[in-house]
Amino acid sequence: MSLAIDDAAWASAWRLRSPADKLLLSVGLVVSALVLPVWPGTLLAGLSAVVLALGPARVPARTFGRAVRLPLTFIVVGALTAVVEVGSGGLGWAPDAAARAGALVGHGLAGSAAVLLLATTTPMSDLLPELRRLRVPAAVVEVASVVYRLLFVLLSSLTTIREAQTARMGYSTVRRSYRSSGVLAAAVLTRSWDRARRLTDGLAGRGMETGLRVLPEALPSSRPFLAATAAGLAALAAVTLVLS
Amino acid sequence: MHIAEGFLPPAHALGWTIAAAPFVVHGARAVTREVRENPESTLLLGAAGAFTFVLSAIKLPSVTGSSSHPTGTGVGAVLFRPPVMALLGTVVLLFQALLLAHGGITTLGANAFSMAIVGPWAGYGAYRLTRRCGGGLLGGVFAGMAVADLATYVTTSLQLALAFPDAQSGYLGAAVKFLGVFAITQVPLAIGEGLLGVLLFRVLTVNARPELERLGVLAPEPVAGAGSGAPSPASGTDGGEEDRG
Repeated sequence: MSLAIDDAAWASAWRLRSPADKLLLSVGLVVSALVLPVWPGTLLAGLSAVVLALGPARVPARTFGRAVRLPLTFIVVGALTAVVEVGSGGLGWAPDAAARAGALVGHGLAGSAAVLLLATTTPMSDLLPELRRLRVPAAVVEVASVVYRLLFVLLSSLTTIREAQTARMGYSTVRRSYRSSGVLAAAVLTRSWDRARRLTDGLAGRGMETGLRVLPEALPSSRPFLAATAAGLAALAAVTLVLS
Repeated sequence: MHIAEGFLPPAHALGWTIAAAPFVVHGARAVTREVRENPESTLLLGAAGAFTFVLSAIKLPSVTGSSSHPTGTGVGAVLFRPPVMALLGTVVLLFQALLLAHGGITTLGANAFSMAIVGPWAGYGAYRLTRRCGGGLLGGVFAGMAVADLATYVTTSLQLALAFPDAQSGYLGAAVKFLGVFAITQVPLAIGEGLLGVLLFRVLTVNARPELERLGVLAPEPVAGAGSGAPSPASGTDGGEEDRG
């Protein structure tokens, strides 16, 4: 069992770039998408994220396109609700409804694309050690690392059990679906405890005393990449200020 | 449903991050203390986080024919208590943002406030209250999970109303709009999540009683049974083949 975004991150051409460099670029684009005027700032930030992901980072367009579409339902429903007016005469559109809804959809899509640039180029196991540099406690980073390592095992259990249930007509009616879902959740939960216990036993046998330290892969920062990031973000802001 | 990246104005995104921070920091301290005392609890807490993440991949059929996903915050609050859920929920939200494109980084604070803080606390309150009123474990779990689900969506709606007040009717009108779209539609799904909780705990009380006792959800049985073989929680229940990953 795998997740498309995680697969893309491991296969990306930027996989061996420093996670801190990619974090800086992605956060820069997210902030640009959020604070710059929609036209042209947000649009340019979103477009840069898409071009960088599909171009130099070589993320499959299909994966990136699908992932960008995921938050779209929330963005569109949220934006439409925000621009409907509740007045004495009932519901109606706000005077600048189209512009405001467009701005909200723009911010949402560009922001999502900028986060996806990081998500599709950096596996969680590279990103989590970076949290230590942001002064997140070691225990929390370790718990998060265990979550990352266990969730694929549990997702694969979930898929296998659900297939078996489906083959036994477990989802043929609403009533049965509920029963099967309850049993499925219980099986996955008890399995997660069992996994944790077996891992604990295994580590105790190897003398675990102080946490789960592993040697992180050395992914050095690149000066040209950082310079290009700074120059690109500055150019983005400058173009936006001139054009708007 | 989480608030998507870029959707909240910067001041609101920052404000909700500051509002969520004390709860998450408190949870982080609790986890750090726990891990220092028992290093093996790292793995149990990680398993709890992974389960919360995976729970959102279970589809719940709704009466209208569509399907939805449980928020999972209620189960976590009942099993692991709200302070731990504040941290685990935030970690899960970060994973959902980066692995499922669900939620975002600047909206992490707002989403953590609704899903990792308000949802678990409201659900845990409903669970304790129902049990104290004699509702029993399953009654408590139903109330806890349904309330946690609904409270999460009510909070999200109010966050959106604060960010986008109605031009004519102000914050109140906006709250009515967003509650109508995101919270009222959630009522049947919250009941569905409550039912899922009842079914889940019915299985757990049979298959994983020692774990529920250890977590303090069930009181230890006073009389030990005759057959005292070590109970195995790794039940295959309705499952397929054992995975050997």
